[in-house]
Amino acid sequence: MSFRRLGRRGGFHPPYTRPVGRVERSATRLLASAVAVFSLLGAVTLVQAQSTGREPDAKHGAVIAAQGTPAGAPPCAQCHAFNGVSDASGAFPRLAGQSAYYLADQLQEFAAGERTSAPMTPIAKALSPHDIADVSAYYASINAPFLPLKAPDPALVKRGEELAKIGSAERRIQNCDNCHGPEGAGEPPAIPYLAGQYAHYIAFTLQMWQQGYRKNSLDQMGVMAKKLDDQEIAAVAAYYQQVKATLETAQSHRND
Amino acid sequence: MATRLQPVDAVTIGVGLTGSLAAYEMVQSGLKVVGFERGAARETVPDFQSPTIHDELRYSIRKAFMQDNAKVAVSFRNNSDQTALPIRRWESFLPGQGLGGSFVHWNGQSFRAQVADFVLRSRTIQRYGQKFLDACGPELTIQDWGVTYDELEPYYDRFEYLCGVSGKAGNIKGQIEPGGNPFEAPRSREYPNPPLKEPYFGAIFRKGATSLGYHPYPQPSANLSRPYTNPLGLKLEQCVFCGFCERYACEHYAKASPQTIILPLLLNNPNYELRTSCEVLRINLDSTGKKATGVTYVDGAGREFQQPAEIVFITAFPLNNVRTLLLSGIGKPYDPRTGEGVVGRNYSYQTTGGPTVFMDESININPFMSSGAPGTMIDDFSGDNFDHSNMNPPFIGGQYVGSIMTGGRPIEFHPVPPGTPRWGLEWKRAVARHYNHTILIQQHGTSMSSRLNYLDLDPTYKDAWGQPLLRMTFDFPENDIRMSQHIADKVVEIGRAMGGQTIIRGGTKRPYSVAFYQSTHNAGGAIMGGDPKTSAVNRYLQCWDVPNVFSLGGSAFPQNITYNYSITIGALTLWALDTIKNKYLKSPGPLVHA
Amino acid sequence: MAPASPATFIDMRKHRVMTEVSRRALIKATGAIGAAMLPAGAAVETANAKGRAATTPAATSSFCAAPLPPTTYVFFNSEEAAFIEAAVARLIPADAEWPGALEACAPNYIDKQLAGAWGAGERLYRSGPWQPGAPSQGYQLPFTPAELFRTGLAAINKELARTPFAKMSPADQDGYLKKLEAGGHDLGGVPSDVFFAHLLESTLEGFFSDPVYGGNCGMVSWRMIGFPGAYASYYDLIDKHGIKLDRAPMSLAEDAHGHVHGNPGIPAYSPPNNR
Repeated sequence: MSFRRLGRRGGFHPPYTRPVGRVERSATRLLASAVAVFSLLGAVTLVQAQSTGREPDAKHGAVIAAQGTPAGAPPCAQCHAFNGVSDASGAFPRLAGQSAYYLADQLQEFAAGERTSAPMTPIAKALSPHDIADVSAYYASINAPFLPLKAPDPALVKRGEELAKIGSAERRIQNCDNCHGPEGAGEPPAIPYLAGQYAHYIAFTLQMWQQGYRKNSLDQMGVMAKKLDDQEIAAVAAYYQQVKATLETAQSHRND
Repeated sequence: MATRLQPVDAVTIGVGLTGSLAAYEMVQSGLKVVGFERGAARETVPDFQSPTIHDELRYSIRKAFMQDNAKVAVSFRNNSDQTALPIRRWESFLPGQGLGGSFVHWNGQSFRAQVADFVLRSRTIQRYGQKFLDACGPELTIQDWGVTYDELEPYYDRFEYLCGVSGKAGNIKGQIEPGGNPFEAPRSREYPNPPLKEPYFGAIFRKGATSLGYHPYPQPSANLSRPYTNPLGLKLEQCVFCGFCERYACEHYAKASPQTIILPLLLNNPNYELRTSCEVLRINLDSTGKKATGVTYVDGAGREFQQPAEIVFITAFPLNNVRTLLLSGIGKPYDPRTGEGVVGRNYSYQTTGGPTVFMDESININPFMSSGAPGTMIDDFSGDNFDHSNMNPPFIGGQYVGSIMTGGRPIEFHPVPPGTPRWGLEWKRAVARHYNHTILIQQHGTSMSSRLNYLDLDPTYKDAWGQPLLRMTFDFPENDIRMSQHIADKVVEIGRAMGGQTIIRGGTKRPYSVAFYQSTHNAGGAIMGGDPKTSAVNRYLQCWDVPNVFSLGGSAFPQNITYNYSITIGALTLWALDTIKNKYLKSPGPLVHA
Repeated sequence: MAPASPATFIDMRKHRVMTEVSRRALIKATGAIGAAMLPAGAAVETANAKGRAATTPAATSSFCAAPLPPTTYVFFNSEEAAFIEAAVARLIPADAEWPGALEACAPNYIDKQLAGAWGAGERLYRSGPWQPGAPSQGYQLPFTPAELFRTGLAAINKELARTPFAKMSPADQDGYLKKLEAGGHDLGGVPSDVFFAHLLESTLEGFFSDPVYGGNCGMVSWRMIGFPGAYASYYDLIDKHGIKLDRAPMSLAEDAHGHVHGNPGIPAYSPPNNR
């Protein structure tokens, strides 16, 4: 029957293709490789189906990523790399394997002015709704490695791990993993992964919430960012950058 | 031999909602207060964090946040002809345990009572006549409260702002406001926060109810719709609709609870001491029997202590309040045969049970996307909001009606249409077919008190400390059955107007059973009133017989209102504490001379 | 087979029920990718442990059942386990579309619950005297869940010694379960309807609870109904009325790799905060 019933997720997801407990590795691997070969995208269809009923086209998304669009959107790959890994500076967020729904949502909000960024706003405006769906689908489907990065200060990482996994009773901050999933793996469709995202980018984004510049998420993010001091922001950023969620397969699938 | 401790100014028996409020007001007035909590300390971080808290088996089914029946239970019978037997596992109602009490795992449904509720007896007689009331049931013992809505209004306001209730006002100082509940009792100002996002099941209900001429409004909720700083400076956050609210605690500081609205200030105050894992056995009285000298309690290691205190606040949840009075010999116990006595009298509950509406399979309800107090409802059938004169056979009271599903947790929620077998392949297929396309409508209403329904001490069964269990004698009065059945017919029509294809009709039936969940709004048993012959506490919740003992909580309700009672309990408690602070502390003694 | 005492007998049994990967389903889904990429017919093994009729789930479930973790019974002996496995397979059977309670490891769940604190009577008021009471007064027997299952199963297995439940035809099994359900039948002191109610409720829990408790393997029941599990937040989705949320469910004890770390020792109460 419907292939959608097999284990799969939308967007970036913890890496398993099927539900397993203590698993027989061989059988899982067989199925995993079968599934990994193709990358249909569940979550972005969630968005697309609502507006046009059209299935997103990841191949076209790859073209946009590589070449930009005739309407003038520059290639995403220039900043985010073709495989969505961006570069180690963290100036541009890692997109590889991010939830397609979330990527599309952010692009739509850049275009609509609900989220503002000098580079992204004109790019998003130059993308059509189909382009947005396609390029989101493309980046969501990528299973990309993690760049070797300088090892952060272990004490900082430890503090970040505490905030990420436990929270802070004194500051009345709930832990990040409550929403962002175990070890920051994300909870697609709507909640992005943090695991493996660049520390610089995480810290920057938290500051944007803290200062009130970014307003397009639920208010929770602003509240929590305001409760964190600079050291704590650096800590959670450092922790999440080095949490590498290994992916066996990139994406969810959907039977049509 | 109990060890006698150094005296303190006040103690609270229980540290839930009312215990936290009472202790706070007292320490603010400079008193040294000890709070006794039977359960353990717990805090949002780390104890309530998800995903661990999103565990239906542990919290909903095994009832991790509830009192431990192995140690203390309640015995139950429907009427005095039966032998009461222990409720060996909680099902029908779930008294909480642990710091914060039931106000940690409640849903957050946040209503005020109606103006008429506080003068129910006189209002009913005035509107419908004594004969009508007698015809509703000669056994009914409804009473006026001794406090009016107008007197409580400022305290409702204060408590709602303390909690950050999210809602839309329907009546501001007599002015009906669009978008709110037109039947609402008048309030002085808007809610502190706007209503929660309306889920799909609420929107469908809204459409159906509107089409029939009813007046839907968003359910007022103590799951907050946006971040909020309460008047005490505590920050609450925004509900994210995780679908694990009632019986769970909130990981996000987004549900009003003692932990989120007041406790940090209390726990940091050097005049306050929290003692957890302490079971208060009784309040001790002096030789006159008219003054409390303190309490006797047993700590977690089994050691017995006497804690002397000038004031004792019984803040232990309605059932435990009544039991404490009985075990302490405060007030005359109610005798159902003579009708005399006040402690245990007028125990009431809640009349609940609405329809299940099966929708077309193209409609995805997504019940798991929810909060504790979501959705949309109508007050057209609440309380005395409709004319009962033509009800034949007659009844008084009413129910609110609404689509307010709190989640889609599957052990508890797997509806199947009538005629489906209870197990087997057809059952499984029906569950798969209907799970995401079914709406529950709640009917939730008044519970009239009756001379037949009461609380006392069990003659046979004891708790782990060797003390008699509380014995509950209760069945729904026929009045309440008639009321709910009448409304059930109306609600089926709403279900049809919503597009329901199959509807399992609601309505409450007798006998009341403790074997399945209905409500944790046990009320009464130590009721307030103007006459010591028919009430256990006065309008300031002060025991008539022992003026330095106050019994705070839903035990004070002479009968139960249409609505979930937490906000009314909060308001009533703040009302009482105001007078206790400003009058009693300056001049201890009876606040009301009967 | 003589039932051994549960304290000494641990039945190590590789209990693996794999259903054939539905090649039809995968081919349909993968389109051009084709059969070449598919695992060459994942092995079909139906466990045939001694004394137990082979359970035969529907031949080709489209749900690619992962090989189930072997069930190590710590409470049930093999005779009891045989009944439980066969019974849950009738209470919530598998079909072509979805697995049932057996494939969902409900017997493992029930075993671990009965072996743990709940089975031993935690949170149960256990003092007498005991009287049957009215239905409205709820459960009034002295049995803890573990005692109730032991007693009931002993009576059942004795009664069915000649034709064990597991060896009956499905129709006969259903008939027997209905007979238990109807009551009026005493199982060593446990009324059969009370036993049945416990069995059904435990099976439902084993089917629908979080897999950390050893049941709902692979979250199959949640996939069936579309329940996302211990998912965090629907804030962004709740006002998208009618949206079809197509994502796999998640367990509360899942790590970032999607592995659920089963812990049958989790107590059913929050540990006190040691402050």
